[in-house]
Amino acid sequence: MFKKILIANRGEIAIRVIRACRDMGIRSVAVFSDADRNSLHVLLADEAYPIGPAPSLESYLNIDKILSVAKRCGAEAIHPGYGFLSENADFVRRVEEAGFKFIGPKAESMELMGDKISAKAQMKKSGVPTVPGSEGAIKDEEDLKETAAQVGYPLLIKASSGGGGKGMRLVNSESELVSNYHLAKSEAKKFFASDAVYIEKYVQQPKHIEIQIFGDTHGNVVHLFERECSMQRRHQKVLEECPSPVLTDDVRQGMGEVAVKAAKSINYIGAGTIEFIYDSVTKQFYFMEMNTRLQVEHPVTEMCTGIDLVQEQIRVAAGLTLSVKQEDIQLNGHAIEVRICAEDPATYSPSPGIIRRCRNPQGSFIRLDSSAFPGYEVPIYYDPMVAKLIAWGKTRDEAICRLARALEEFSLTGIKTNIVLHKSLIQEPKFLDGSYTTQFLDNDFQGTRDNLFKFVDDRVFLISLAVEAFKELKPRSTAETNIYSRWKDQAREEGLR
Amino acid sequence: MFFEAELRGIKYRINVNESPASWKVTLQAEGERPELHVISKDDFKELDGAISFLFEGDSYMVDVVGNGISYTVYTRGSYRDIPIYNDEMLLHEQLKGSDNLSGPNQISAGMPGKIVKIMVKEGDKVTQDQPVLIMEAMKMENEIRAPRELIVDKLKVKEGDNVESGAVMVTFKH
Repeated sequence: MFKKILIANRGEIAIRVIRACRDMGIRSVAVFSDADRNSLHVLLADEAYPIGPAPSLESYLNIDKILSVAKRCGAEAIHPGYGFLSENADFVRRVEEAGFKFIGPKAESMELMGDKISAKAQMKKSGVPTVPGSEGAIKDEEDLKETAAQVGYPLLIKASSGGGGKGMRLVNSESELVSNYHLAKSEAKKFFASDAVYIEKYVQQPKHIEIQIFGDTHGNVVHLFERECSMQRRHQKVLEECPSPVLTDDVRQGMGEVAVKAAKSINYIGAGTIEFIYDSVTKQFYFMEMNTRLQVEHPVTEMCTGIDLVQEQIRVAAGLTLSVKQEDIQLNGHAIEVRICAEDPATYSPSPGIIRRCRNPQGSFIRLDSSAFPGYEVPIYYDPMVAKLIAWGKTRDEAICRLARALEEFSLTGIKTNIVLHKSLIQEPKFLDGSYTTQFLDNDFQGTRDNLFKFVDDRVFLISLAVEAFKELKPRSTAETNIYSRWKDQAREEGLR
Repeated sequence: MFFEAELRGIKYRINVNESPASWKVTLQAEGERPELHVISKDDFKELDGAISFLFEGDSYMVDVVGNGISYTVYTRGSYRDIPIYNDEMLLHEQLKGSDNLSGPNQISAGMPGKIVKIMVKEGDKVTQDQPVLIMEAMKMENEIRAPRELIVDKLKVKEGDNVESGAVMVTFKH
């Protein structure tokens, strides 16, 4: 087993990996940009080294710098976390050429599954159901019209190297086809430097359901059941749960088997996720894409299977076999994760700044993966997610009640957070009955400021504010009732001694 | 001490008096009768880096951040941005002749970012919360909206511009 691992990431995921290392008796090495000297991953790791200026390109994406730190500190393996370099095949090759183990899949798997067209073609070949659509990129207008007629309406035009909803257009009828084709091409060109687009059938009442898979270097591949991630805003996941509230055991089993087949067909090694789009009407599921890394939402799978996915990643990278066989993997209970972000809950605009008070939820069957602490400044340079709160219950209802309780306990001030958004979401009828689709947050949810802020009597805010403003403004002579001034006075006295 | 504050579009007149054992706070929403709340200092005390406030039987941990005329009050995972003015400030604002309770006549960047899209032209009339431009910051595209009904005076940025924190992006007139 490795003695020392470098973690090429920051925030809660770096902390997550540090914890797995420590659980296994491995030394952990953090790297940090100039903006992250005070970040929690630096404080928690065994070793920590600077890797450059705040912008990611000059630090967390700087392969040379990361490799030179790895050499200097004597790390044997590198864990990429998610985001940053985690799905960069060049990085994998550079890591291996430099003599380190990369904790993740092979570079070839990343390349194959990273391109949407090659990924879909490969999956079709492996017998995985895919959404009906064009074979590869659309060649010209003629090809477009022919393929569209076969696929049927409504359909989507998508950028081949796209993501995050950019370069994607919905076409309801033939009359809208050609104009949308050209729009999609120019958007694709602008965002992804390639104007290749493809078309596919539009799935009705879609749900995002993904299967966690795991392969080792000995040819074993298992699946760890599904996660439902339909609660999304503009294709960004907001809340995830395991298991999905709508899958029947038959479909769940089928999805798992298909995912294992897919992973085996590409000799996949390490943790991966196969994302499916699920049609709530027809109960059909289709391959969407594969993520060749650990997912943000992996904790819900850990809570329900009892398997530590990061430890498993490290074992596999060290050449060991998976610690579990398929028949040993059971789903136990229900887990829900919410992403706590430094953002305005009504407008979703980021709210970086200094955290004043941070009182974490505690108690039974609650897990918090957080990078927040009082006095910590959330930097403007990176993702606004500061914590993930996960609640487990024997049943889904129990998990929801426990999550509501934990959100109530969570106190994070100084920055705006989406804690109230989550409080509102988990009371929504479509969430409670499990029928919510990927469109729910963008289209159905009435998350106006007044709705979100219904939880507290306005008078509490006004009275607290008025009393505090009074204390601030009143003449200094009466300052002895102000506890902060007393501290200041005491500090001054101590300074004089 | 007398204050005026605004919350969810409602203006409040607030009077605060301190006695040795309590805070006497009179709240009066615009057009409503005043409400007197006598809050024992034992029910409103600093604890655990915040304020423990026992109000009508409910227990709140409240944090009040800010100074001058702009505060944010946090409790129970929720928060409110509240502008507040006392006598002296109100007088000052009146002398300046501006209607500051309804906010500034410009939009500035809250953080560094890049202008992705501008949805208005100079001279356009905008309504409250109408999207004005899209700015990319912290890996997210953020819609920046009009603070209230106004006319776009000057666009100080164009699509593709990088802006620094605090830079004025749009100015408005009535």
